[in-house]
Amino acid sequence: MLPIDDTDRTILNRIQSDFPITSRPYLSIADNLGLSENDVLKRLSRLKKKSIIRRIGGNFVPEKLGFVSTLCAAKVPEDQIDCFAMTVNRYPGVTHNYKRDSKFNIWFTFIAPSMEEINRNLETISQETGVTDIINLPATKVFKIKAHFDL
Amino acid sequence: MLTKLEKKIISLIQGDIPITEYPYLEIAEKLGIAEETLLETLKSLRDRGVMRRFGATLRHQKSGFAANAMVAWKVDENRIDDVGQKMTSCKQVSHCYRRNPSKEWSYNLYTMVHAGNEESCREIVRNLAKETSVDTYTLLFSRRELKKTSMKYFSTP
Repeated sequence: MLPIDDTDRTILNRIQSDFPITSRPYLSIADNLGLSENDVLKRLSRLKKKSIIRRIGGNFVPEKLGFVSTLCAAKVPEDQIDCFAMTVNRYPGVTHNYKRDSKFNIWFTFIAPSMEEINRNLETISQETGVTDIINLPATKVFKIKAHFDL
Repeated sequence: MLTKLEKKIISLIQGDIPITEYPYLEIAEKLGIAEETLLETLKSLRDRGVMRRFGATLRHQKSGFAANAMVAWKVDENRIDDVGQKMTSCKQVSHCYRRNPSKEWSYNLYTMVHAGNEESCREIVRNLAKETSVDTYTLLFSRRELKKTSMKYFSTP
């Protein structure tokens, strides 16, 4: 099904978290898995080129960097979705935006230095698009955030 | 809270690190700092919990998780910690948050569920509902990706 073999799978499972912070991280991974550094580099380059890997890097907690994050939802008429998405996506703090089937049909995440700024931006979005049904749903408690997928 | 150097390092490490023998050396050279300083700072950011995760982000659709559903649940506030905890123990649940309900949208607990197809998602959700005895919920499958990116903190325009 996937254009990856068992070795690729093992490497991918190994590097989704706890990527080594050592001078030659790919060598550490290779030693870990009984492979050669060259093999790991070649396989990862291929997986990257095939877009199975989106990126390798750090993921941060917005609140620890002095930012706030939230989830917003909007009721947007079908024929205005493209225009609405364009307006919303212009903000660099909007990192995820999906059309979903529900009465609130557009769902996007928003990160900014303050909730006041997010509310001001939502106000501006409403004025520019004419979409007035936008709800702001900041998390009051985080039970789980996991981004590791066992392949 | 964060030093100038930490912010500079975050602005680079939030991107994509090179797939080469000495990726950190390349980044350190870009920043004009010693490789050792970069490694120590990264470890500190990780140990302080500023960096939640360091590693590869995969494209789910391409790695065998074609379907993802956001599930909004309406849970009795007295039970919400208990229900939230239960939901997190399910492997297919990647995110679980409590959010305030509003007039137009009365749900207060949110989970992301990932599986190979929609039917599997539905089945996982049916089981979660049964295990937690929460029967008011709605599944919101994503129908179109309008944007998916990573946040760029402290990037100089």
